[in-house]
Order: sequence, then C-alpha cells, then structure tokens
Amino acid sequence: MVEEEKKPVETDQIKEMLDREKPKMKRFLSYCAHCSICAESCFLYMTHDKDPQYMPSFKVIHSLGTLYKKKGNVDRDFLESIKGIIWRNCVLCRRCYCPIGVDIPRMIALARGICRSQGVCPDYGETDTKESWL
Amino acid sequence: MYDFVRGPLVWVAFIIFIGGLVYQVFQFFSMTQKKEPVYAPGGGRDRQGRSAGWVNQWASFLLGKTIRGTHPVMTVVTSVFHVCLILTPIFLLAHSILFYESWGVTPWSFSESTADVMTVIVLACCAFFLFRRIFVRRVRAITTAYDYLILLIAAAPFLSGYLAYHQWFDYETMLIAHILAGEVMLIVIPFTKLGHMLFFFLYRFFIGSEYSFGQGTRTW
Repeated sequence: MVEEEKKPVETDQIKEMLDREKPKMKRFLSYCAHCSICAESCFLYMTHDKDPQYMPSFKVIHSLGTLYKKKGNVDRDFLESIKGIIWRNCVLCRRCYCPIGVDIPRMIALARGICRSQGVCPDYGETDTKESWL
Repeated sequence: MYDFVRGPLVWVAFIIFIGGLVYQVFQFFSMTQKKEPVYAPGGGRDRQGRSAGWVNQWASFLLGKTIRGTHPVMTVVTSVFHVCLILTPIFLLAHSILFYESWGVTPWSFSESTADVMTVIVLACCAFFLFRRIFVRRVRAITTAYDYLILLIAAAPFLSGYLAYHQWFDYETMLIAHILAGEVMLIVIPFTKLGHMLFFFLYRFFIGSEYSFGQGTRTW
C-alpha cells in the first residue's frame, strides 16, 4: 500500500480505459440534463439530510465527468479525492432513476475500475482513521 | 440578411438537425445489442404477450408512485413545457404561411391567440427552470454556465418570436433574431443535452432496466 501511494498513476492506462467507453460515457454525460430528479431515488441522499453530494448526478459529474474533462491527465491525489464519492457515497445498488435513462451505476463502476487500476480503493481494514466505508 | 437566414441557413439548420439525429440513432444502435426482453415491473409484456403492464404503469402514475409523487410540480411543469415547446412551432400560423409560400401546402395551425398563450407558457416554464437552477440547492450544486446557456438557447426562439409578433422593438431585427435563434437551437439539439428529445425515447423504451417503459430489448 505504501508503494502504491508513492507510485505515479499511469495516465496512458487511464486514458485507454476512458477511450474504450468514451462513445457511451460521453453521451451519458452530454445528455444528462442536470435536472436533479435522480436525487430522491438514492437512499443515501435521502438518509444524509438530502446533502447534494449524494445525488447520483453529482457523484457522476464529480468523478467520471471530471476524469473525462481532464482527459485522464490526473494524479494520485485526484483519484484519492474521488474515492469517497464513488465508494462511500455510492453502493452501486442500481436504484438510481434517471428520466432520460442515463446509466448512472455504469459510470460509477467505470470510475471505480479506473481507480482500482491505479491501486486506489478503499481499505476496509484501516484502523488509523475515523473514516468509515460502511 | 433576411433572405439569407430565411433561405439557405434554414436548409443548413435542418440538414444538420436531421443528419445529427440520424447519426445519433445509428450510433445508439451500434453501441447497443439485442438481448432477452426485460420483464419490468411496470411495463412490457408477459410471456403470453399480454400487456397488463400498461395498466400497472398508469395506475402507478395516477397513484403518485412515480416521479409524479416525488416531484409533482416539476412533473406538471416539464410536461406542459415540452408539449408547448414542440407543438407551438409546428402549428404556428406564421410558420404555416411560410410553409405555404415555400411549398404551396397549407398545414393546419393554431389560432394566433392560442399560439401566443402557448409561447407565454413556454417562457414561464423557462423562468421556472431558471429559478430552480439558482435557488434550489441540489440543482445549484450541479449547475454550470453550460446549463444557463442551453436554457437561453431553448428560450430565445420563443422570446424573440413573441417580441417580433407583438412588434416590440424593431420588427425586422427581432424577426431575424428569432430565425437565427431557432436555427441555432435546431443545430445544437443533436449534440447537446437538448438531444434528450430523442434519447428519452431510445433509452427509456429500448434499454432494459426496471424503469423501462417498453420491453427493453437492448442493452449497452
């Protein structure tokens, strides 16, 4: 884990993963109307005092959306910063509803895959932090 | 200037609009594949082909179990907005006259007062969406300048058309602005989030999920 934390991310690998799904994902990101109707379909949003950071659209825009915006040119700090969004704030229950039909869980799953490819994933055995992944 | 925007530019706008939509449909079918039908809770047909699902869907809607129950105001406003947005330019008397001048065909049209009211409704709905973007916390959290721009693009043809019809400000200027605004809107539809006018139907009817309206015979 310490070696992973020090290793720079392989941006070529991230770009390859982004490019493989680009036609679908760019269309999902493009056609998202930013209407926030998906919010109430997420039980995490409903049980966290309707905090906007738990909205499905918020999660996607600030994880995968930012990865595409930066064209994969990100560093480990960025991947660490979205770790909470895509693992703590989402459990991939697939309950999220989008009136247009954007497949939100698929986008979160891709963001998770990209993070995992660089060794960025939650450590459920961490004991030196108050942060909970549950 | 009027002859240019009324003539060649209209063709350019419609060619890009229709060509863009056709391209997006083609891309959709090339990015998805057929699969076994999804037996969604509220839609589709059962193994014997009976469509009891539609009864369930309407019952769910009327009983407020869908987003109508979660977002009643937004449901009404977006429904009214989209109906007026689409029907007004198609059945506008002024557009029918243009159609007659170009093709010699006189399509049916609304009365001028009806179209006027529908235009005001569209503008009021746009104001509602703008209010939402600015004052509703969860919407503001995901709003960017792009969203305001798209809202402006959607509202501009109706606002400029209303001003031109009522001859507020210089008529010819407002008319050219109206035509340009409409052409810009047509051109950007296939390539921006306004494309949901097409993708709503493709995604919600063809892609299988528990929220499918149709049988959901395709998957990504």
